[in-house]
Amino acid sequence: MKKSGSLSSIFLFITISLLSFTSIGNITEATIKNFSLKNVNNKTVSLSNFKNAKGFMIVFTCNKCPMAKFYSERLNKLNNKYKSKGVYLLAINSMDTLAYAEESFELMQKKAKKDKLCFPYLQDKLQVVAKQFNATHTPQAFVIWKNKTGKYTIKYQGAIDNNAGDANNAKPFLANAVEELLNNKQVSETNTESFGCRIFFRGEKQNMY
Amino acid sequence: MKKSIITLFLLAVSSLIHAQYNTLRIPEALYGTTFDLNIHESTKQLRTGNLTVTGAINNETFWGPTLIINKGDEVHLNVTNNLNESTTVHWHGMHLPAVMDGGPHQVIPAGALWNPYWTVKNQASTLWYHPHLHETTQAQMTKGVGGFIIVKDPQEAALALPRTYGVDDIVLALTSRSYTTANQFDSPPTSTRIYGDYMLTNGTPNAQISLPKQYVRLRILNAEIERGYNLGFSDNRSFYIIANDGGLLNAPVLISGTTPRVKLMVGERVEIMVNLGGDAVGSSLDLKAYNSGQTLGFPGGEPNSSGQFGSLLNNIDFSVLHINVAATTSNPITTVPTALATNTYWAATDANVTRAITVTGGQGATPFSLDNHTFVLNYIDKTVNLNDIEKWTVTNNAIFGHSFHVHDIEFKVVARNGSAAAVGTHESGWKDTFYVPRNESVTFVGKFDDFADADVTHPYMYHCHFGNHEDGGMMGQFIVTSSTMGINDINPSTDFSVYPNPANDKLYINLSDADTEIYYVTIVTVSGRVVMMLPEPKWQNGIDISSLSSGVYVIQIMDKKTKSLTVKKFIKK
Repeated sequence: MKKSGSLSSIFLFITISLLSFTSIGNITEATIKNFSLKNVNNKTVSLSNFKNAKGFMIVFTCNKCPMAKFYSERLNKLNNKYKSKGVYLLAINSMDTLAYAEESFELMQKKAKKDKLCFPYLQDKLQVVAKQFNATHTPQAFVIWKNKTGKYTIKYQGAIDNNAGDANNAKPFLANAVEELLNNKQVSETNTESFGCRIFFRGEKQNMY
Repeated sequence: MKKSIITLFLLAVSSLIHAQYNTLRIPEALYGTTFDLNIHESTKQLRTGNLTVTGAINNETFWGPTLIINKGDEVHLNVTNNLNESTTVHWHGMHLPAVMDGGPHQVIPAGALWNPYWTVKNQASTLWYHPHLHETTQAQMTKGVGGFIIVKDPQEAALALPRTYGVDDIVLALTSRSYTTANQFDSPPTSTRIYGDYMLTNGTPNAQISLPKQYVRLRILNAEIERGYNLGFSDNRSFYIIANDGGLLNAPVLISGTTPRVKLMVGERVEIMVNLGGDAVGSSLDLKAYNSGQTLGFPGGEPNSSGQFGSLLNNIDFSVLHINVAATTSNPITTVPTALATNTYWAATDANVTRAITVTGGQGATPFSLDNHTFVLNYIDKTVNLNDIEKWTVTNNAIFGHSFHVHDIEFKVVARNGSAAAVGTHESGWKDTFYVPRNESVTFVGKFDDFADADVTHPYMYHCHFGNHEDGGMMGQFIVTSSTMGINDINPSTDFSVYPNPANDKLYINLSDADTEIYYVTIVTVSGRVVMMLPEPKWQNGIDISSLSSGVYVIQIMDKKTKSLTVKKFIKK
């Protein structure tokens, strides 16, 4: 059971949330360490597997969230468009599998098959990759880009686009960021509001029991 | 030619005017005695552009279905929490055992099924259900989780009142919301705003409805986080109040004069009847919130248009429902009955116990509290004896008004500021929630005539119903006890076995001591995920586990007397 509440703890929580939100500007250039996660085909996928990669579109998503469900087709298109240009899409499910039966690996496999996902759909069972990115919602997109020293840094974080229900009338934030990076430009909008279902981290006081 | 251009122009203008309204969503009505409620995240097109993530129940995309139940029936609720966080569901205004009440102690984790049931003791009334998870109530209410309950009884059914759901009997849940740049609701933990910038009536922005040219009944609920509504019609027509929170008044109360208004604060319900019989078919009027110029402390009267306590709707008059008058139905209600019910209310002199509750805190960063004690889960503030008639006076000398709600009972407001004459005619019936303005007091009398469970693990609540205030700890807890409850020195052995094991659809319990009373059964996966929560289950006929997937489970039994827990494992085939 949750510990007895007090408003000070809420204030503290809100303060922490706001701090992490406002500090996103500072972490846009944060370095992302290599990670290895299990794909729905049971093979392990690591950033270091992609020797020729210029960058990645990392999308935190899940099986159940209604917002996440809108984007399978759009993510397939993004992957098909940019993988030949050395920018790969990796979808990551960091939802707490102990808390949610719907986020099991088996149901991830089912979703990948049903939605004909053409990109890896990885399970972040220990939620460590989500924590590395400070991911908060599903879906939430990041673009990481290889710098001169061969390390990946975050160049974009936020929504895939700004209209979940209507792809044709959406501003494609994620694609725009990739285009700008491919054209050796600065990303003009580095940080947009992500929306969808919250990612709760196991063991943290976030109203999960 | 010129005429046709003008006609076209008028048509275009009228369609533009029309286009600003959306048809009011009437929540699906569910009838019967068994109700499946699936609470889940959803999305809704509330604004131009992006969809908004909402919380909804069953087929709704915001809010939930209306449960229509009969007094005397035993109703069973299959509540499944498919949100991605824990919740609770409280049956606001329902007179039921505390273990079925759905307060902050009855946490339904994500993915779990909760099976409360009770015999409906309330008279015909408009009640509602909503989340009550401590520190999360505001966020989940903001998402839209909740719904109406309409209780029916023979007394109400015998009256000539509008009661065709969605036709001349309309539920109206009044809320407002503000939005982020991505069209998401402003709510904790990322926002501390409490007032919405845009009205949502049953989750519909700029709502309109066609209502028949006759008397119609509006069951209005203030489902806000904090905003109050000073309601009236745009042409200042008079109307009748026929019911308060707890059901029909003895007689309709006419609200008339130059500006007929009724104040409805958070958690309160009022049923009104308004006559559209004199209106032309095709004409329209608005039900409006006349919220400008309220006294200091009226929630939503603050002058700011932005910020934590600001909103575009603050301190202005605005429409909550646009009404288009349509043709009369086949059996219209054309008069208001002169008598409605025969309630025998408690008077101040009936009370044999008197209590005082003081609103405290609220200065600077200190949250509001009751009697200088912020809510903690395991602290019982008050113990009430079964069948006592109690008089509680809530005194608010803090800086702001509050909406005060008591679980378990309906009560009678007997005085404001010590004066019986100061109790409003709009609140003359049974109440479970009332407004206590700043620098005022409210006195009510209620009888605690059932459910002496003395259950410290599932107490009843009394609290401010402002979502942010209850999340901040402005809540107290009480239990009802009976002096005739047996004090047995010998505690039963709570050991038990289950069979068959492995089990298919039904799991049976074999108690080693027949004196054990099974109070609560919880079924958990071996990895620790709660899947079923069964308060006082009817276990003698077996527990239905057909919905579980195959695997190993832990069944936990709480004994009624000792509240001790005993666990066993079983296998679901």
